[in-house]
Amino acid sequence: MRQPTGGMHILLSPLRFVRSRFAEYYQKHPSAIQPPSAIERREFGFVLFKEKIMARHKSFKNAESLRSFLKAVVPLDVYYSSARYEKPEEKMEDKGRTGTDLIFDIDADHIPTPCRKDHDRWICSSCGAIGKGATPGKCSSCGEQKFQEETWFCEICLDSAKTETMKLIDFLMRDLGFSSEEIEVSFSGHRGYHICVESEEVQTLDQMARREIVEYILGIGLETEFHGLGERSEERSRILFGPGLDGSGWRGRIARGVYELLLSATPEELQQIGLRKKVASNLTEHRELLLESWKGKGPWGVTKDVGFESWKKIARHGAEKQSAKIDTVVTTDIHRLIRLSNTLHGKTGLRKIEVPITGIEQFDPLERAVAFKEGSATVVVSYAPQFKLGNGTYGPYQGETIELPMAAALLLLCKGRAKMVE
Amino acid sequence: MKIGDLASPEYKSVLDRAEDRIEETILFGAVTGQSDKDEVEIPSFPIAVMMVATIGVSFLKRRYALAEARRASNLLRNEREDKITLIANNFNWKIDSVEDPTNSLTYDFTLHYTDFLRNATGFHDKKWKLVNKRMSNGEVCLTKNDVVRLLEEEIRRYIEGKLDTDVGSLPETLMNRVNRLKRLLREKRGEARPLEPSKEVLINAFPPCIRELHGTITSGRNISHIGRFTLTSFLINIGMATEDVVNLFRSLPDFNERLTRYQVEHIAGGRGSRTKYVPPRCDTLRTHGVCPSMDDVCRKVYRPLAYYRRKLRVAQRSTSEEET
Repeated sequence: MRQPTGGMHILLSPLRFVRSRFAEYYQKHPSAIQPPSAIERREFGFVLFKEKIMARHKSFKNAESLRSFLKAVVPLDVYYSSARYEKPEEKMEDKGRTGTDLIFDIDADHIPTPCRKDHDRWICSSCGAIGKGATPGKCSSCGEQKFQEETWFCEICLDSAKTETMKLIDFLMRDLGFSSEEIEVSFSGHRGYHICVESEEVQTLDQMARREIVEYILGIGLETEFHGLGERSEERSRILFGPGLDGSGWRGRIARGVYELLLSATPEELQQIGLRKKVASNLTEHRELLLESWKGKGPWGVTKDVGFESWKKIARHGAEKQSAKIDTVVTTDIHRLIRLSNTLHGKTGLRKIEVPITGIEQFDPLERAVAFKEGSATVVVSYAPQFKLGNGTYGPYQGETIELPMAAALLLLCKGRAKMVE
Repeated sequence: MKIGDLASPEYKSVLDRAEDRIEETILFGAVTGQSDKDEVEIPSFPIAVMMVATIGVSFLKRRYALAEARRASNLLRNEREDKITLIANNFNWKIDSVEDPTNSLTYDFTLHYTDFLRNATGFHDKKWKLVNKRMSNGEVCLTKNDVVRLLEEEIRRYIEGKLDTDVGSLPETLMNRVNRLKRLLREKRGEARPLEPSKEVLINAFPPCIRELHGTITSGRNISHIGRFTLTSFLINIGMATEDVVNLFRSLPDFNERLTRYQVEHIAGGRGSRTKYVPPRCDTLRTHGVCPSMDDVCRKVYRPLAYYRRKLRVAQRSTSEEET
């Protein structure tokens, strides 16, 4: 039975307010919604305001029917399948998959950034203790292991995600041979970037093949000996050799990683990667010589005190920094649903928007993804760190009532940090 | 040539050679030798394919495809680069042989990564991982031996595909040969039938991942490295005897008793580090594509072993209730 809605002073539910703003967006900007290619063969999924569950297995014949659906239903989130199907509305086993785009997700959540301690906090579910930064394994006051997490995202997080995205683009173009026209990069509207390749050649890659691509980009299972690092005997002495800076694929990456590591590492940092004290100080003492050596055959074997095993450690560690931190599950899942471009993100009220590859370095997601540029709303904020959005900077807030530009108010409402007063 | 013609005496030597190919596969898992006449050797292969398809036993199909593919790659290993390119092109590979006049390169071919991955993802050695290959502009650098090994895999799948086609009925002379080979296969496999798992192992309580791996192995098909490890460590941990686990793998086309025994004993903690291994966590299995789909019990557990114990408890409770 439904509760009667009585009383004089009704607090407007944030959900109803958010929904009417989302409705406004889909009414006003129907043509912004560009369908994915082969729309009639894609499965669509929606998170609805009412039930907050995913309604799946929908399909649309054309852009127009998708747009009128969005106007009429006003979903919290809109997704489409990376896969193409003969019958997208059928049950999973009857859909008849004909191919799947190659997609990547880079989420700031997976990258350990120093800003976490400034904007993330956890609350112990049993004793109520509050702490900043990454959630611990167990509560320091009561020892319980259940927490409520409050995470945020800032320019530093998004910048680190962007750096990983640029590394991924380098892998896709230089190693896998895609042209920039084949790669579509988007800001997800929350914490990261989506990268999508629709080319014919990737459509039939199976899960195993996609996992190999994932492991290539993450450098999982990389053995430096397969990339030119080795030693050989010559007239009773051991000769070390390794890859050069302009080597192709992982060869060049290993060399560039080693270059960067030796350029700035302190003896302590080198000891942390498992080198002996003597080796570490030898490397930093000969820094100039080592950097100079790249003009010739590289630093391998330049100083006698650094042996093959040490170089393997240095190379492995240098390579680690060259990998791009992609999510492994998204790329290997051939039935994945991904957010549709230019639709609103239910956790932020921001748009997912396309990022030009050539201008990615200057791209400011927190300005470009703002969907609501007019109006304001008064909200009661429970807790929010300082944040930037559009051209403004807001907060920090703790239990206060404040009038904010619409985009900032929506962000706090969608992240569950604020309620409406009306 | 029509199928009916095969009954005539002039084809006897062709049929003999075809039967040889299959008999050698059944007994030794290989096709060797060669008729000195091309007009016998060449047609004997499609006829053998027809006969294996008619025998219809999937174990033999896989074993035969593997044996013929190995034979082909052994022949290819001695061929020149241009001949290898020609054959690869038959399978629509994007391949190029590399000009190397100064003999300074460590590779002979470049191959598009999609063709590489289609054939290499089943190989277990770390040298076959894409991350350990030199790749530039979508092209993977490979030695001649690498390319031949990948071609073997392509040929194996191609022959397996041919063996699955419906060949219709064969003339009586051929059927006599087919039936003789069937008997030989039964005798040979009788020695190596996988034993039923010991009584206390409850197959009904297996989680979906283990059920699928177990089913794949018992029908003689290969599974990934992580799949083998998961299945073996699971069975060992629920109390199956090492011997019974080894026997499970016996029906695989490339079964190697000594190696399998060593690996199973290692996982059981009887060798090397003496650590007894447990199957990976569910989320790891999902990442590696071993998890086929979750059922209601799966949602309550994080490990395949927890699933089994849970179901076992339920089963034991219901039987003890019946007894009281």
